[in-house]
Formats: sequence, structure tokens, C-alpha cells
Amino acid sequence: MKTSNNAHAAPALPPRRKGALKRKLWQYKSIYIMILPVFIYFAVFTFYPLGLGIFQSFHRVRLIGAPVFIGIENYDFVLHDPIFLRSMGNSVVVGTVSLFINLAVALVLTLSVNEVRNRLAKSLIQTTTFLPYLFSWTVVGGMWLQILAHNGMVNNLMAAMGLSRLPFFTSSAWGRPVILFTNAWKQAGYFMVLMLASVVSIDPTVYEAARIDGASRMKQIRYIIIPQVWPTIKTLLVLGATGVLRNFDQVLIMSRPATKDSIRTLLLYIYEEGITKMKIGTATAAASVVMVITLLITITVRKLAKYDQDASY
Amino acid sequence: MKASFFDRPEQVSKPLRNQMNPLERAINWLLLVAVFLIMILPMINVLAISLSSNAASQVADVTLWPRDFSTEGYTFIWNAQNLGRAFYNSSLVSLTGTVLTVMLSAMAGYVLVQRDLPFRKAIATGILVTMMIPGDLTLVSIFSLNKALGLIDSYTGLILNGLVSAFSIMLMRNYFLSVPLSLAESGRIDNASEMRIFFSIYLPLSLPGLAAITFLEFIGKWNSFMVPLIITTKPQLFTLPIILRQLTQPTDSTSGVLQIYDNARMAAIVITVIPLLVLYSLAQRFLIGGLTVGASKG
Repeated sequence: MKTSNNAHAAPALPPRRKGALKRKLWQYKSIYIMILPVFIYFAVFTFYPLGLGIFQSFHRVRLIGAPVFIGIENYDFVLHDPIFLRSMGNSVVVGTVSLFINLAVALVLTLSVNEVRNRLAKSLIQTTTFLPYLFSWTVVGGMWLQILAHNGMVNNLMAAMGLSRLPFFTSSAWGRPVILFTNAWKQAGYFMVLMLASVVSIDPTVYEAARIDGASRMKQIRYIIIPQVWPTIKTLLVLGATGVLRNFDQVLIMSRPATKDSIRTLLLYIYEEGITKMKIGTATAAASVVMVITLLITITVRKLAKYDQDASY
Repeated sequence: MKASFFDRPEQVSKPLRNQMNPLERAINWLLLVAVFLIMILPMINVLAISLSSNAASQVADVTLWPRDFSTEGYTFIWNAQNLGRAFYNSSLVSLTGTVLTVMLSAMAGYVLVQRDLPFRKAIATGILVTMMIPGDLTLVSIFSLNKALGLIDSYTGLILNGLVSAFSIMLMRNYFLSVPLSLAESGRIDNASEMRIFFSIYLPLSLPGLAAITFLEFIGKWNSFMVPLIITTKPQLFTLPIILRQLTQPTDSTSGVLQIYDNARMAAIVITVIPLLVLYSLAQRFLIGGLTVGASKG
């Protein structure tokens, strides 16, 4: 990407006469028209809701009549709402642990699959692990609600082996493990595909050299393959960090009364407040708080991963 | 490891790779088999239950093969639960949306590769900023907006929300960057309009990119859950994910209406993923290519 970018970089601008910019804008008018729909879209569907949300968070929004300015009352309510604070804790813990589990599982899988020579076996495991990534949470959630149900496949298997059935959806203790496991089941294959792509790009002569130096396969994995995958892991970490607090589909579908409190995420809280209870002020205040925290997380992770160091636009 | 005279040439000609010792290899295979089973057994189980009869699908056992084979789950869910209508809605919204999104993304991506377009950097920044804004956090305002625009319970609303994605624009831009600049220059010398250069030079040379974002966008729209959840209330407009979610809610809320057996529930899941499976088998290469390019920065 880097080299092609340079090719497209603007050449040093010659000194300009008055009106040159104007002429240039005119010359490119059809180009500007091409991006106009995108701009209108972003203005209406991205920036306007953002502004509206911030506005509403400082107001009491009523069904009839103008919104009333109430200062930070909504924020005051949200920040003292035990359910919000609980959701914040859930989101941070589940989101972070989930991201790291998925990355770790994907890395192990990548290294493992990379050792397989048999093409059929290789593509079989790649396909089966990747497929659930293409399915929505309504599908994957629906599947696991069935499989982990009281008389689902897992519990039936346990019963057949003489073990007792486990309350996957009726005990709060199982709430988080189920979420973490199903999340890895759906997402790890996607991470693996991306990691494998960087392993494949390793120059074979590097292995050859390592081998001549007497490095075992384990040493090669440690000193050649993992360093090669590392930038991909960093990228996935940065991209994943933006999503840590944004789990919604999965918990909305998979939570049950018994498990809800241990897994309710911030987005679910916002949804329940704003859409179910129609408390728009509270919901938008919560959303604004989460937005700020997400930005802080994103910036911190980017800094830590030195992600922006050589970004070029 | 002892190096005898005889195995040396083999080592040189048959390069590297699998030098794990037998124990390591055994552990590796064990791990892979375990992962494979964890991935495949749930899928087989769902498929087997969906093809069992009503009564047999409720039997408490490990079902890996249809018992009392029957398609009554499929016919029930398709007709009685109006899954056919949802399938139509999902198809209509996803296909229309995908065509529009790909067009808009391609045009915007083309704008971003214009070498000395005034304000190009500003435009690129504006688009990148939208990637930093977590759109789903504004779901309450999205609801208010749609209400104000009269888009609640309309196909237009389902198509419009999420029509433009910065991700697809950036992906398209990356593919366009690999088109040789000299081609566009020669087009300009021949007095071709920008539109002409776009349609007859850039688009044909970026077909893999177009294919990739077409498939990725379609999958995203087919799976879209939050937007329809927020802006549809009428059952005639429900898309597949909404119906699926209703089906998997605890039965006591729907009891007294119609008993829905497990086979019907699983049949709904199978029906929902069939288009995705077809797409994957047809377009695996483009999908993976798009995902790989999309996740690499630049």
C-alpha cells in the first residue's frame, strides 16, 4: 500500500495565480458530485444522530412539546444507576476477556493448522471454523440456545454419560462462560483466516536458514512465525478495541432472565432504556458516556500498539 | 538428530516444513480433531433436528442424524410462521441495498484516489472519522431520526439505514490504488470525462474488489439485526433475523398461540444460512481476499 500511495501523492504545487483553485474546483465538479450522496448520507445518518443524541442527553424529551433543558440531570441519573454501572463492568470484563480469548484461540489454531500438510484436512478445518463468522448472532445464538438447552445435545450427552445436566441458561454463574465460548466459536475462525494469510507470506528460505542453523520446529514457530503474525494481531487488537463495549446482538439474543444481570452490556442497557422504556434522555446520556470511553480506549490502544505510526492518508 | 550420509540429500531437496517430532504432531492432530468436532457437531445437530419429525425433534438425545425423517418443520415454519415473507423481505432489502452500497462506495473510493483533487485529504478524513464514531451507540437517536423522516415500518428505511459504509469505501479505494495512473492519464489526454474514466478504466480493472465488497455487503445486510429491530413493528416487514429472534425467545411468551417444535426452529436457522452457504461456496476467494485487504491497514 505504501508504494502505491507515494505514486498518488500530490506533486509539489507550483505557485498559483489568483483563481486557480476556483478553476480547479470547477474542473473537478463531476468528481465532487460523485461523493455528494456519501456526504449527504453521513451528514444525515451519522453526524446528525450523533449531535441529536448529545442534544437529547441534556434535555427531557417529551412526546408532545419542545424538549426541556435540564442540564446534567440525565448524566447524574445514569452515573448513579446501579444497572448502568453493572453493565459497564460487564461490558469491560466480557468484552476484553472475549477479545483476548479469541485472539489466543485464533493464534493457536493458526499455528496448528499451518503444520497440516494434508490439503483436504486443512481446508476442512478452515472452512468449518470460518463459516460461523458469516452467520448472524440470531443464527449462532439460536443454535447454541438449542444445543445448550436443558434437553439439548450437550446436556443429553452429559446425561448419557451419567453426569448431571448443567443450567447453562438458568444460572447466573453460566452467563459469562456461555457468552465467551460462543463468541470464540463464532469469531476465532475469522481471526485465524487473517493470521494464516500473514503466515503464508513467510519466505520459505527463512525456514531453510533456520533449519541449517539447527532450529527445531518449535523454535521456528517462536522466532519466525509468531513475529510474522504479530502485526496482524496488533491490527486485530486495535480494530477489536473499538468493539469491546459494543456487544449487542449476542447478549440480546442469548440472555435469559437468570443470566441477564451478569451479561447485560452497555448497548443492551441503552436499548432497554431508550427503546423499551422510551427514556430517551437517559439512554442518550448513557450513549454519550460510552462514546467518550470508547474513543479513549481506541486512542489508548492505538498508542500502545503504535498503530498510527506509519499510517498514510 | 543424527545426520547420516543418506538422509542429507533428502533434507535438501524436500524442504523444511513438517519437522515436528511425533509427540508434537500427535498433540497437534488431537487439538485439531477436537476443534473440528466442536465446530461441526453443533451444525450437524441443528441440521439433523430440522429434518426430524415434530415429536422426534423433542426427544432428549444426542441427535446427529435425522430421526423419523420428515420435512414438516420446514413446511410449518415457511407457511404458518410466515418465514416465506421474511425471506422475501430480507432478499429485497439486502439485494437492493447491496447494489446501491457498492455503487456509492465505488464512486467515493474513486474520488479518494484523485491525485490533486482540492480538499481530497479533508474528504478522506471526514470519511475516516465516521469509522471512529460507533454508529450503534446512537441507536436511540437513529430511532428518533427514522421516526422524524417517516421511515419506521418501510422498506426505504430498511434499505437506507446503513447504506454507506466507510469500510467499503476504503476497501474500494485500496483496490483502485492498484490501477496504473498512466491509464487514467491517457484517458484524460483523449478527453474522456471523469465518469468515462471511472466506468471504462477503473471499474473493469477492479472487479475482484467489486466482487469482494458486493459479497461482504450482502452478508452484512442479510445479517443486519439492530436496525430492523428498532425501526420495524409490523410483522409484514420483519426480516429473517427478527423472526429468528422471536422464535428463539422462551416459549412461555408465545404459548397458547401455536406450539413451535424444535425442528421448526432449527429449520428456520437452516433456511436463513442457505444463501450464505451458497455465497461462500461461490465466492470464497473474493470474500477472504476482501477481508484480508480490509483488515490490513493503509
